[in-house]
Amino acid sequence: MNAQSSLTRRAWLSGSAGLAVLSGCARKSQPASAPPVSVVRAPAYDQRLYDTVRRVLQDHRLNVRGRRVLLKPNLVEFEPASTINTSPLLVHAVYEAVRQMGAAEVHIGEGPGHRRNTLDLAEAAGYFQAVPKFEDVFVDLNLDAVTRVRPSRQVSHIQKLYLPNTALAADVLISIPKMKTHHWVGATLSMKNLFGLVPGGVYGWPKNMLHWAGINESIIDLHAAFPRQFAVVDGIIGMEGNGPIQGTPKPAGVLVAGRDVRAVDATCCRIMGIDPLKIAYLQPTSANDASLLASDIPQIGETLISTMTPFELIPEFQGIRLVNPA
Amino acid sequence: MALLDAGDSEAVRRGFRWLRTAQRPDGGWPPQAGVDESTWVTALVALLPPEQLSDAVHEKAVNWVAGSSAEESGTIFRLRQWLLGQSSLSSNQAPGWPWIPNTAAWVAPTSIAVLALQKESRRDSRSDLQKRLDEGRNFLLQRMCKGGGWNHGSTTPLGYPTTPYPETTGMALTALHGVHARQIDVSLPLAQRYLSECRSADAWNWLRLGLLAQGRLPVDAAPAAELQFRSVPEVSLDLILQAAFQGRNRIFAA
Repeated sequence: MNAQSSLTRRAWLSGSAGLAVLSGCARKSQPASAPPVSVVRAPAYDQRLYDTVRRVLQDHRLNVRGRRVLLKPNLVEFEPASTINTSPLLVHAVYEAVRQMGAAEVHIGEGPGHRRNTLDLAEAAGYFQAVPKFEDVFVDLNLDAVTRVRPSRQVSHIQKLYLPNTALAADVLISIPKMKTHHWVGATLSMKNLFGLVPGGVYGWPKNMLHWAGINESIIDLHAAFPRQFAVVDGIIGMEGNGPIQGTPKPAGVLVAGRDVRAVDATCCRIMGIDPLKIAYLQPTSANDASLLASDIPQIGETLISTMTPFELIPEFQGIRLVNPA
Repeated sequence: MALLDAGDSEAVRRGFRWLRTAQRPDGGWPPQAGVDESTWVTALVALLPPEQLSDAVHEKAVNWVAGSSAEESGTIFRLRQWLLGQSSLSSNQAPGWPWIPNTAAWVAPTSIAVLALQKESRRDSRSDLQKRLDEGRNFLLQRMCKGGGWNHGSTTPLGYPTTPYPETTGMALTALHGVHARQIDVSLPLAQRYLSECRSADAWNWLRLGLLAQGRLPVDAAPAAELQFRSVPEVSLDLILQAAFQGRNRIFAA
């Protein structure tokens, strides 16, 4: 794709986000029972993470007892020194917490979009070191057996959606992305992280089918295909600027978590200084989608204002900057 | 193909039987049993010896590969792009092969398709096969990264140059076996450097194959101590390479 066509698409997306924002203005506010979003301080990748994660999952009364759980980190590239991949220590902290909470089965699964050698990528990212017997619990979702999924409601142009059986069989899918800016969609968080569920073994590398079907629309469809999700976003050190690959490290010192992953992503956006109402894939697509106004998202832990750490944005995305944080 | 080199005749018989059964009516194969679409993997099957697969099955496979191309090389797509002011109507971009139908062309599936057609062209001099073969090679030459080597296929997807990957560089050099071009000369030193730094079995395999295809594999090339073969494709390609080192090159030979 050339630069000209990408700008055209960005312009189109800005327009469609604007329309969605306008349509969202008429929506009723969220019911009081909406699940909360946690924002907790996590200043470093160290042993304190284990306790922090355990407390967060308990706060949300995440019921994993006797259930199959799939942890989905974000593994992208062989860049051990960068902040491109989800921290293996955080993934292991979530792994240990859900095991202690009685999960029957816990797997870590990922299907990188750029590189075929997933286990080599995981090793370079430190997963073999951080997670004991990593190869026994890890599933390369790019090579997993697949089943065709026929969504009841679809907004993308995906013609045939095949998804890995390990992900479809999970009772709970825990998305553990890195908090990063993204040169196509503005920000990549829990929902965009689901691109890693799409099997490269079927669609190839990169997962070009998702681009042809519409990136924002594909994110929405993948999100809808997995109704039992939870998110823990690695915002300890995120990535700003030209993310999700060539950006620069950005310490934000937070974990953001919750079972309404759309609300989690909207909260992350506000922490990053991005207006979630201008992120196309976060906009409501049905009457069941909750409002993303900050006042409609119950929050526990730190306040938004105290954790806001504006991320640098590339010139094409200056228009999504959050103007009024309140 | 790896089992052919390993000499496991019973497993080979079962494998060919399964492939003959799994061929779809259009002549292609899906990447796994639950997928109801023929994809790039068809080119892998087309590389197998026709006398063992069956001539009829092989011919349908080759025809599927020759008839497959990426969405962006189609007339309707180009017309739409032209109407949107995003390209000229007469594109000089050579058509490559996609991973799955109705998507864009990429270096990896194009490389495998070129290898299949190159092998077939030694058995069959059909002009349509030669035309697609030339188009595929030109696609690869056009998609080289600035400074050498290959990424997945886009050279400037975001307005700035992409950096090459070891695996795709090895694949493209393999597919460009027998071709003389500046792009190859530029990429060979990079491939040799990648090989000396290699920590991935997939990259190690494709770089060795690519450099072997270009007659530039260092005689003292040795894998890094930490390099591990972790998947069936990685072990399989290593077996094929070992056979090639012993003079039985099933990828390039007719």
